[in-house]
Amino acid sequence: MPERSLPRALVAQIIRQLKRRGVDYADVRYEQLAHEQLIAEHGRIASISRTHTQGLGIRVLRKGSWGFASTPHLRPPHVARAIGRAVELARAVALLNTAPRPLAPVKPVKARFRSRWQIDPFTVPLAQKVDYLLWANTASLGPDAIKRATAHMDFHKRWALFGSTEGAQIEQTFIESGAGLELAAQKGDEVQTRSYPNSHHGALAQAGFEYVKQLDLVGGAARAQQEVLQLLSAKPPKAGEATLILDPTQVVMQLHESCGHPTELDRALGHELSYAGGSFLTPEHLGRLRYGSRHVTIVADATIPGGVGTFGFDDEGVPGTRVELVREGLFVGYLSSRETAAQLGQPASGGAMRAQGWEVPPLVRMTNVNLEPGAGTLEELCRGVKRGYLLSTNKSWSIDDQRLNFQFTTELGWEIINGALGALVKNPLYTGITPDFWGRCTAVGRREDWRLWGIANCAKGEPMQLMHVGHGAPYARFDGVFVGPAT
Amino acid sequence: MIGQSRLLTELANLVKRTRADGVSACAQAGSQQVLRFAHEAIHQDVAQDTVMVTVKVILDGRVGVASVDTLEGARLRQCAQAALDIAAHAPPQEPVPPLPARHRLRWRADYVAATARAGPAECVRAVQQLVRLCRGAGAQLAGSLMVGERELAVANSAGTACHAASTVCGAKLVTMYRKLSGYASGVHRDFARLNLEELLARSLRQSLHRRDPVAVPLGAHAVILEPEAVAELLEWLGYIGFGAKSVEERTSFLAGRVGERLLHADITILDDGTDPKSLRMPFDYEGTPKRRVVLIDRGTALGPVYDAVYGMKFGHPSTGHALPADEPEGPLPLHLAIAPGRAPASELVRRCERGLWIPRFHYVNGLLNPREAVMTGLTREGCFLIEDGKLTAPVATLRFTQSILEALRHVRGVSKERRLVGDPSIDAGCKLVPTLSLGAFTFTGRSAA
Repeated sequence: MPERSLPRALVAQIIRQLKRRGVDYADVRYEQLAHEQLIAEHGRIASISRTHTQGLGIRVLRKGSWGFASTPHLRPPHVARAIGRAVELARAVALLNTAPRPLAPVKPVKARFRSRWQIDPFTVPLAQKVDYLLWANTASLGPDAIKRATAHMDFHKRWALFGSTEGAQIEQTFIESGAGLELAAQKGDEVQTRSYPNSHHGALAQAGFEYVKQLDLVGGAARAQQEVLQLLSAKPPKAGEATLILDPTQVVMQLHESCGHPTELDRALGHELSYAGGSFLTPEHLGRLRYGSRHVTIVADATIPGGVGTFGFDDEGVPGTRVELVREGLFVGYLSSRETAAQLGQPASGGAMRAQGWEVPPLVRMTNVNLEPGAGTLEELCRGVKRGYLLSTNKSWSIDDQRLNFQFTTELGWEIINGALGALVKNPLYTGITPDFWGRCTAVGRREDWRLWGIANCAKGEPMQLMHVGHGAPYARFDGVFVGPAT
Repeated sequence: MIGQSRLLTELANLVKRTRADGVSACAQAGSQQVLRFAHEAIHQDVAQDTVMVTVKVILDGRVGVASVDTLEGARLRQCAQAALDIAAHAPPQEPVPPLPARHRLRWRADYVAATARAGPAECVRAVQQLVRLCRGAGAQLAGSLMVGERELAVANSAGTACHAASTVCGAKLVTMYRKLSGYASGVHRDFARLNLEELLARSLRQSLHRRDPVAVPLGAHAVILEPEAVAELLEWLGYIGFGAKSVEERTSFLAGRVGERLLHADITILDDGTDPKSLRMPFDYEGTPKRRVVLIDRGTALGPVYDAVYGMKFGHPSTGHALPADEPEGPLPLHLAIAPGRAPASELVRRCERGLWIPRFHYVNGLLNPREAVMTGLTREGCFLIEDGKLTAPVATLRFTQSILEALRHVRGVSKERRLVGDPSIDAGCKLVPTLSLGAFTFTGRSAA
C-alpha cells in the first residue's frame, strides 16, 4: 500500500477530539502491517500466505488512569466508539487509581524514519521466492533418515503513524526479511533436529530480500544435513562442570532470557507479576549489583542498522537510543518507558515502548539487546581449555519467574579437549544462575565474529503480544558451568 | 457483536464471487476488555475490537491463502484476489483434500448476554473489591481480569456455513504476603459465575503463611500436581505429540507406538471440543464439526487428531482439529482433558507421606526430547512440602527436568474433581483436568537470589 494513503488527517482529527475530551495526555497510532510467509516441506510448497491488517490504537491518560482502545475499522462510527471506549476505560479505572501517573518528558517532533532495505521483498515476484525456497528445501532432502525438511521465508512491512496531544507527528516505515531451514532425522527412537542459519526463525533482519539471498540457504542445507545425520550417532556430553563456549546463536538466547527480560523496568516494578513474573534486578540494585564479570558489557541499542529492534522513534514518540544495561559487569540500566522512567525518577525514557501492532498498547520491550564484543578468535577462546564444550543453536529454553535459574539445550555441540575442537555431541544441556553464570565469563570474542539475529516470538503482556527483538553477540566463554545430557 | 447474519452473508458473498475450484473463508471476530493490576492500581487496560478473515482458494491443485482484518467489500475482494494470485503462482501441492461439505451449524448456547454487556466500570469495581479483600487479609494483589465475546464463522464453496458466538471471561490472581506468593486462575462463559472471591481465597491460602520457604533436596520426589500444573504439561503434550503432523514427522511420542501401553492405566487423555464443561467450540477453522478423540485410553496410545490435509495423508476423516489456514503447525488438540479419577483431591494429599504440592508450573519447555516428552520447567507460587499428609512448609523455587511419559507411568491417584484451565485472552483452547498424584518427579535445580 502506498505511503501517501496513510490517514494523516484522521489521526490529527482524533487528537483534536481527545484534547476536547479533557484528557491529560493521549496518543494515536495508525498502523498497516503486511506479512507474507512461504513454507516448503519435503520438496513441495506447504503454504503461502499473506496477511494485511490496519487499524487504530488510541491511548489516553486522565487523572492517573490509562485507557486504551483499538479498532480495525476507520469509518466515523467505529472511530467514535474507540475514542469513547478509551476515555470510558480511563474514567472507570479512576475508580481505583488515586495516585498521579507522571510521564518523563519528551520533545514532541515532526519526523519521518525509514528502515534500510535494498530490495522491497513485496516487489519480488512470488515465482522467484518459490523457486529459491524449493531449491533450498530440496537440497536438504536425500537420505532416508531425513524425516522432515522444511524451509521458510517471512517478510514483514509496517507503516506507522504516531500523533500525540503534545504535538508529535511521526511517520515510520519498516521492512523485515527472514528465512531458514529445519531438518529432522530419525534412527530408531532417536530423533535429531538441525536448523540453518538459526533455530526458531532467528534469521530475521530489518532488511530487504537481499538479506535472504545473502543467507546461502542452499549451501547451509548441505551442512545442516551432514550434521543432523552425524548427530544420530553422536554421544551426549558427560555431566559435570566444564568450560563452556557459546556461539553467537546461543549467546542470543542467553541474552534474551537472562538480561533482556530482567532489565525491563515494568517487570522490575511488578507490572508483569500476573503473567511473566518479576525480576531479580529490582531498582535498589541499579548501579550496585555485579551482574557479570568485567568482560560483560550489554547494551540495548535501537539505532543499529539491520536489527529488528531498530526504529527512529518508539511507540510513544521517544527517539531510538542506545542504553547501557550492564557495563563491565555492573548492572547500570533498564529498558524503560516514559511512565516507568518517571517512577524511578529518571530524567528521560529509555525509549523502549513497543507494541506488536495497532490493536494493543505499547509495553516496555527489548530493542536490540547486544553483548559488546571483546577480543579473540574462536581458536583463541578455546586455547587453554582442558575440557569443555562449544554449543550452538538453541533447542529449548526455560528460566524462572525472577530470571535467575535458567536451563538451555542446544541442537549440537563439540567437545573441546586441550584447546582443540573434538567430536560432535548431541542433546547438550547447560544450566546456571544468571549473575553467577555471567560472573564466570572469562572471555568475549572479537567484533569480526559478532552477529546480529532476530527473535520473532518474544511473548509478553495480556493480551499476549509477540514482538520482534534483536540480539547481537560474538562467541563467549564461561568457566565452571554445569553441562550434561538433556535426556 | 457483528452477528451471524452479517458474518455469514459477507463470507458467502466472498465465496460466491471468488472464481476458483474451491474457496473457504473463515472469520474470527471479537471484542474484549482486559485490566491488569498491581500495587492497588490498574496499570494497563485494553478495549479491543478485532476481526480477521482468512480466505483459502484451490485452483488447479494449487492453494493460496490470504487474510485481512475487515468485512469491507473492497478489501475483502483484494484479499481474495491475493489468495488467487498466490494460487496462480504456487506449484501444485500434494492431492488437495475436498472442502468439508454442507455442514450448517449455528451455535449460541455459550453466549451470555450479561457478560457481553459487562462494562469497564463493572470490571473495575470487581477488581476494587478484590483489592479491598486482599488488603484486609494483609496481602498484596497483582493480576488480570478479562471479559469478552467471540465469533467464529466458516463458509465454503462446498455448501458449509457455520457460525458460533460465545462469551468468555477469566482472571489470574497473584497474592503476596511477606516472602510468599499464591496463585489462582479461573475462566468461565459467565462473568457472574467466575467467582473471583473464591479464586482470591485459593490464592491467599497459598500465600498466608508465617514460615519462610525451605529448600528441599534435589532428586525425585512424590508430587501432587494441581490442575493448573497438570494443564501446563498437557498443553505441551498436545503441542509436541497429539497432532498428526508430529506423528508424520516421527517426532511425536505417539509415532509407531499406537496400541502400546505408554502411561499408567489410570490415565485417559482426550480432546473434546463438544464438552459443555469446557470452552467448547462446535467446529474447527475449516468448518468441520468437532469430534471427541481419545488420545490415550487407560494408558494405551491412540490418537492423534486430524484436519482435512492430514486426514487425507493418513486415510482418516478429519476429527475437526484444523487451525486457521495460515497456521503451519498442522492439526492440534485445543480442548484437552484428562478423565477424572475417584478420590477427592484432598484425599490425595492425605495419602501422601512425603512429597511436594505444586499448584502451577512456570516456563515449561517440552522441546528437550519430544519423543520421550522430556520437559523442563519450574515451580512458582504456592509450592509446599507435604509431610504425613499435610502441607507443612512453603518450598523455594525448584526446576524439574523429567520425561512426562515416565512421570505418568507412576500415578498414585487421580482426583474426581476437575478444573477448567485456560487463558481467556487467547482465541480458543482450554484444559479440563484433575489433580494428579505422581510417585516420582525429578527436580534438577533450584533458584538462588
